Amino acid sequence: MSYIHVQQLSKRFQVRKKGGPGSFLREKQMLQALEGVSFDIEQGDLIGYIGPNGAGKSTTVKILSGILTPDEGEVLVGERIPWKNRKEYVKHIGVVFGQRMQLWWDVPILDSYSLLKDIYRIPESAYQKRLRELAEALNLGDLLRTPLRQMSLGQRMRAELCGSLLHQPEMLFLDEPTIGLDAVSKLALRDFLKWENREHRTTILLTTHDMEDIAALCPRVMVLGHGRKLYDGSLQDLLRHYDKARTVEIRYDRDKIVPDLPESVQVQKEGDGFRIVYEPEKLPTAELLSLLQQAGPIREMTVQPQNIDHLIADMYREMGL
Amino acid sequence: MKAFFSVFRMRLRMETQYRGAVLGGIVCQVFFGLILIAVYRALYAGKPQSLPLSHVTTYVWLQQAFFRMLLSSDAELMDKIRTGGIAYDLCRPVYLYGFYYARIMAQKLMGSLLRAFPMLVFAALLPEGWGISLPASLPALMLSLAALLLGLCCVCAMENISMALTMRTLDPRGFQAMLNLLMMILSGNILPLTLFPDSWQRVITLLPYAQMLDAPIRLYTGEYELTQGPGVILLQAGWTTLLVLAGMMLWRRNQDRLIIQGG
Repeated sequence: MSYIHVQQLSKRFQVRKKGGPGSFLREKQMLQALEGVSFDIEQGDLIGYIGPNGAGKSTTVKILSGILTPDEGEVLVGERIPWKNRKEYVKHIGVVFGQRMQLWWDVPILDSYSLLKDIYRIPESAYQKRLRELAEALNLGDLLRTPLRQMSLGQRMRAELCGSLLHQPEMLFLDEPTIGLDAVSKLALRDFLKWENREHRTTILLTTHDMEDIAALCPRVMVLGHGRKLYDGSLQDLLRHYDKARTVEIRYDRDKIVPDLPESVQVQKEGDGFRIVYEPEKLPTAELLSLLQQAGPIREMTVQPQNIDHLIADMYREMGL
Repeated sequence: MKAFFSVFRMRLRMETQYRGAVLGGIVCQVFFGLILIAVYRALYAGKPQSLPLSHVTTYVWLQQAFFRMLLSSDAELMDKIRTGGIAYDLCRPVYLYGFYYARIMAQKLMGSLLRAFPMLVFAALLPEGWGISLPASLPALMLSLAALLLGLCCVCAMENISMALTMRTLDPRGFQAMLNLLMMILSGNILPLTLFPDSWQRVITLLPYAQMLDAPIRLYTGEYELTQGPGVILLQAGWTTLLVLAGMMLWRRNQDRLIIQGG
């Protein structure tokens, strides 16, 4: 049987709706956060879990980490039911909530780690070894004696990640770990996750809005919308279906020149050049090029695939999200 | 268990970091102590009460010195509950009630000790009729210290209940204001319980609020005699047990029906 087995998972929340102005009583409303979600994940997999805000991603993570109890459905993680015998279960998992903090704000992070050591009852020698390993991989060396409050967001996220992995969990849930990070920090974080996954065969489930994270890390991706699973497969296959357009940026020797192109092509003046979006299915690239050349001498041009975020936005639109 | 000690130590250390807050607290509490004593002196000048004035001034100083034990909350813990940061604590292999109990106790203990020592020294230096007097006897002092420790346990159990309730309402301000008012009146923080009419005292001293600081102070001043000691301690222990059990139940129910806010 697979490492994580989720079958027909459903969860509803009762939310209170504010009445109109002046009304004191609030109406209650049911919100279907998850509806019949099923999937299986093998040990050592690195899975991307995407979907627009409010799709139910975090709810899934909270159920899988034993915090929430679902209304219906089965969940087994490593043959354990997360919300049954929670204390025993959570020893085996690690969680990072990108928007929350687990480390203490005013004390050096090393002290927070040593508290975590006691919470997870990690033997001293294993703790020292793991801390050295993580501190090196996450480049935390000089920061261990720094309080969290003095750190930048990127440093903080690395510190938080270290905290979630000290007890060497078999399974790591990451809920938007790259939120708000700069390019360098994001790249470092991705490298680290790959390393941890390869080195310790840690199974990783990553929710994010950053498609570059997914492209760089996850061979398999699941798309969630309105509490239902809409897609489960490789990112390439997903994108191929939506990835139809290409963008050409072009500048001629003289700015007077305007290329004459068929109607299926969008042309936009940009600076002293043009931005042209076309679909190779409708107008082959060779034809487009010859049309562009006929207009006059080209100084420079680039052809780019569509931005991955646009693709995802198109996909969400098509799926009615 | 180790996790409880560890979080206790951590919270103790954190409390010692806010030296400015300690100083500010001392100045504020000394000011309140002096004002209250001035008021009671005026009251006594007009119409002397059956209770000696030195008992009242001692009562006021002990109340002010341990103000932090009764009326302070772990703001960081409240924030965690309000914003959902508590999600992390919920996926730790610890018994949550005990974990928070240790944390609350560290904050209340260190918070009040840091303020109490300098304040009591200051109060001891004040002239007769303004300052704090010595305990009734050495055994009375020992007994009141034991009662103070139990009082601390009692107030922590109460605070943990209020944390559990915060998880339901998600905004502590409304009911905390109410609970704080109850605490201030019924614990003797505003008006010493010893000055309430006798018939009222018979009821009030049985409530949990009176077990926290009022009982230890009465043992210190000799208001409660040594022979009453065991009864007092028993009442304190009874309330503490009851509040702990109620808190444990509330936290368990919370964990069963849980919504984490945001994201």
